[in-house]
Amino acid sequence: MSAHLSIRNLIKRFGGLTATNDFSLEITPGSSVGLIGPNGAGKTTIFSQIMGEVRQDSGQIALDGLELTPLATARRIRAGVSRTYQVPRPFAEMSVAENIRVGLMPDNIWSMIAQGPDPDRELELALSVGFTKDQLEKLPSELSMGDLRKLEMARTMATGPRMMLLDEVFAGLTVGEIAMISGLVQQMRADGMTFLIVSHDLKALEPLIDRAVAINHGTLIADGPYDEVMNDAAVRASYLGT
Amino acid sequence: MGLRWYHFALWAAFAAGMFLLPEIVPRGTLRTIIFANFLAIFAISWDTLSGRTGYVSFGHPFLIGIGAYTTAILTKRFDVPVEISIPLAVLMTMVGGLIVLLPALRIKGSYFALVTLAMMELMYQLVQVIRPDLTGGTRGMSGLPTLTRGAVNGFYMSTALMLSIAFTTWLLMKTRLGTALSAIGMNEEAVAGSGLSVTRLKLVAFTASAFTAGLGGAVYVHYLGSIAPRALFDINFVFTIIVAALIGGAGTTIGPILGAFFLTFLLEYLRPWLPGAERYLIYGGVALVLYMYQPKGLIYLMGQAVRRVRKGAA
Ligand SMILES: Nc1ncnc2c1ncn2[C@@H]1O[C@H](COP(=O)(O)OP(=O)(O)O)[C@@H](O)[C@H]1O
Ligand SMILES: [Mg+2]
Repeated sequence: MSAHLSIRNLIKRFGGLTATNDFSLEITPGSSVGLIGPNGAGKTTIFSQIMGEVRQDSGQIALDGLELTPLATARRIRAGVSRTYQVPRPFAEMSVAENIRVGLMPDNIWSMIAQGPDPDRELELALSVGFTKDQLEKLPSELSMGDLRKLEMARTMATGPRMMLLDEVFAGLTVGEIAMISGLVQQMRADGMTFLIVSHDLKALEPLIDRAVAINHGTLIADGPYDEVMNDAAVRASYLGT
Repeated sequence: MGLRWYHFALWAAFAAGMFLLPEIVPRGTLRTIIFANFLAIFAISWDTLSGRTGYVSFGHPFLIGIGAYTTAILTKRFDVPVEISIPLAVLMTMVGGLIVLLPALRIKGSYFALVTLAMMELMYQLVQVIRPDLTGGTRGMSGLPTLTRGAVNGFYMSTALMLSIAFTTWLLMKTRLGTALSAIGMNEEAVAGSGLSVTRLKLVAFTASAFTAGLGGAVYVHYLGSIAPRALFDINFVFTIIVAALIGGAGTTIGPILGAFFLTFLLEYLRPWLPGAERYLIYGGVALVLYMYQPKGLIYLMGQAVRRVRKGAA
């Protein structure tokens, strides 16, 4: 269930601002890469381009050799890549179970109608991200930030990805919740999932990745083992003041 | 979300209660119910698209109009029997609506509302200009074949139609498709981010909505036996449909029915005091107060009452 992601010469401008500046990245199947950089560096924008939510101005993005650029978001997810959002996006008037149900749905109108939901699978996913069984009927408004992030994870996992993009999954989480989500990521890595992870919490990020990639102003400034990247002069400068 | 036996028992009880009404209520009331039934059909149609996905249509009379005019022209000008003209009218509504409004489904929010409103006005102008020999121009058409005679038969026919549309829509919305459509109304980006083709889902919602609008519109003209463009393509008519769905409870199936009955009877009881258009002012006020008091609508208030009674009993 691994996937190979290949990004080549990606460029995205918002008016005068270059959010992604000739960015290239290879992620081999089953590996996990940390994407780091200060606020506004362009991390989320790269995720959005991989998913087709933001269109790049130029450059290619391929998953296992399949060029994603012409595909709509739904097609890319079917191809095997899925993301979480930095700001959780739950369906506000739906329970935890129903939120996960939407992620589990096939993109096929007839089977949506003909086949009922799969409560066992919904429960299994909810439990795997650390929900308790009695939280299944809770509404997003009744959940903590930590729970909303878990829900975001569960819905993303429900789409059946081979590659997951995690955007600030640890923000707003308690130490216990961070340990929970980390454990889950480790387990999925062991099962062969490919990851690209954005996190400001470097301490939590470090054990989850094989390699780190640093960007600033949309430009790649370092790529290599975590320690090396963290000791890179340009990376340090970017974090100190931009 | 799942189906339970008592859901079906409630539907059966609802249907039985409706069909018993001619035994207990006067003729005049039955006539009012007939209009409530048709308004309920239109409100359900509106809700299938707008109540679920959040794409607010101000142009439902446009869809209803396609259905109504198609069957009116076919029967009146070409002597096509209603058994054929009504299905054709429904088909025409779905196809015609799609061709015209499909591009609009790609635009979001208030623009969609504006485009649909423009469609309704455009259609009003068009029926007067294009082939008035077919459409009857400003005067519309009368002397169309009617499906039933008398209040009681009209009541049975409209009730049966309303109940079958309501039940089918309810069943459809109970499926995962219904869940997905509601999800669009809550967060369209997240639906796409869950791997679903949002445009295709909106298309399905639109087609289902057009089906109901076309069917309701076609049968309605054969109940009235006439068609009048000024009454059909009227902003008051749009508002009545939307308000029925909203105060009854948008995003549900029973809500629009409740709202339609509430509004129709409200207008009817206001008639002796306010014969003119001022009635719409009063009902607008009542609707606004109700909506501000409980945006989830009458259906939610009733649910609350039931829960309270249950608690009291326990
Ligand atoms: N839709 C947009 N329109 C204009 N500017 C944007 C848009 N999205 C992001 N940006 C800008 O692009 C830059 C990178 O943003 P983002 O990718 O969110 O950064 P990060 O996730 O690294 O904090 C920021 O300066 C941000 O203001
Ligand atoms: Mg970000």
